[in-house]
Amino acid sequence: MQKSVNERASQGAGASRLGGVGIGLRAPHYRELLSRERCTDWLEAHSENYFGEGGYDLNVLTRLRERYSVSLHGVGLALGSAAGYSSGHLQRLASLVRRIEPSLVSEHLCWGAIDGRVLNDLLPLPMTREALELMCSRVAEMQDVLQRRVLIENVSSYVRFAGDDYDEAGFLNELARRSGCGILLDVNNLYVNQLNHGADAAAQIDAIAPQYVGEVHLAGHLVTELAVIDHHGARVADAVWALYERAVARCGCVPTLIEWDTDVPELDVLIDEAASARQRSPGGCHVLAA
Amino acid sequence: MSLPLDRLQADFAAALAESSAAVTLAPALVAHDARVLDRLALYRGNVNAAWEKALANAYPVVRALVGDEFFGGLARAYSRAHPSVSGDLNRFGARFGEFVDEFEHARSLPYLGDVAALEWSVHVAHYAADPVALTRERIGALPPDELLMARFALHPACAWLRSRFPIASIWLAHQPQATAGLPDSLDRGELALVVRPLWRVEVLLSSAGELAALAQLRNGADVEAAITAGLQAEPGFAFPKALVRWLDCSVLVEPPAAAVILSEDQ
Repeated sequence: MQKSVNERASQGAGASRLGGVGIGLRAPHYRELLSRERCTDWLEAHSENYFGEGGYDLNVLTRLRERYSVSLHGVGLALGSAAGYSSGHLQRLASLVRRIEPSLVSEHLCWGAIDGRVLNDLLPLPMTREALELMCSRVAEMQDVLQRRVLIENVSSYVRFAGDDYDEAGFLNELARRSGCGILLDVNNLYVNQLNHGADAAAQIDAIAPQYVGEVHLAGHLVTELAVIDHHGARVADAVWALYERAVARCGCVPTLIEWDTDVPELDVLIDEAASARQRSPGGCHVLAA
Repeated sequence: MSLPLDRLQADFAAALAESSAAVTLAPALVAHDARVLDRLALYRGNVNAAWEKALANAYPVVRALVGDEFFGGLARAYSRAHPSVSGDLNRFGARFGEFVDEFEHARSLPYLGDVAALEWSVHVAHYAADPVALTRERIGALPPDELLMARFALHPACAWLRSRFPIASIWLAHQPQATAGLPDSLDRGELALVVRPLWRVEVLLSSAGELAALAQLRNGADVEAAITAGLQAEPGFAFPKALVRWLDCSVLVEPPAAAVILSEDQ
């Protein structure tokens, strides 16, 4: 049987394999997560929130790591930046990875810096051969420094570039095949891009090479007159659930994350969303009782 | 024919900095409709919001003092003058205090820059390393002559500021558990000591003697030299009282050399 990306990605010392449905770790839930019984299969933390040498946030993550498997999800490496890419940022990530021993490490298919200036956003890359070459070399460097396989996530965008050589699925498949990374498939982002650009999300899911998919992200979005905003501030939309079912039917038991960043609700709302994801996963993928 | 990636990204960044630069980028974008420039404005709004949010997180007291709207203007001006240089937004805003000092529209609030400098020390302290702090028990066990010769390191969260304004009182008045309101007069200076007992950063009103003594300890001097410096700076400096406060607030840690000896013993 072919090893899944998730199994290969979790070969770091002390890391256990992720399974089931996780939730994003957010500061308003620290106390409750520390005090109550195990309530999620795993936790995903934004890496940069824990880049300090010490302090409360890192202490909480370290304590939660004793009870939960953890995935580290970066938002600041800006891998696709032609200029202004910082290997110092990667070194800080490496230090956190040594400390937390996460099951997964992921970043985005995006850029976010020019020479001397960081834009602190997940900006869209053109899907060109040049961008693919750059991403392959940056992902290779990331995997060399971290000494492990990483996952790269598709982003949502408000604009698209003319002259693309690939669609998103084609770009991600090539990146994974050439660099050896896995794909973090954000189903909500595919749907947001369908509404913003007319790219058929179901067709993108059907085109993704399932053996590369190591994690799925689910979140809510906001429909506005101008564009659909990937704000992570609502429950997962029905259309996105349908796409999720399509994705897991194709990819099998893939660790799935419920993300919530804007107007973070009570922890129980996230746990409830996670239960909905578990119900929609193929039989045999469930970790917590639904 | 698409633009080289570095050129495309430079054009994109320019369009986010200035809406007038968006027309240069527009031909490189798929134009579904005339709203592509409005779509770019969403990115412009997002990056500005991210910087403002990061500054609001580090400078809650400055924000409370000037109000949300003025703070938004300050944040935009700062982001242009001192662009972000890290993908870690917790590092953004290190020079906000000096910027505020120079900011023309904040001249009527001359204490604002010093309050900002204090808040940055608090922010940095939140993420500082967690060495094991020395306890009352540990120091109490030292015979007096050994205590006088002892050298300590200061906790990495520990910092202090001297201001012509009552910055510690202003900061304390804005905390959720505040016991006092804003100071009646802004016309007196204060010395502020930033400490982190366990996890929560605190700001203490300090004195010339205490800061002179801490400065000696930070430079590697022994306790006797610290006491001497404290008394020179402030004739009434009470070292035993200061020492108890430092121990209760996790200010003192083992100097690095002692830590090495400890680990060799194990």
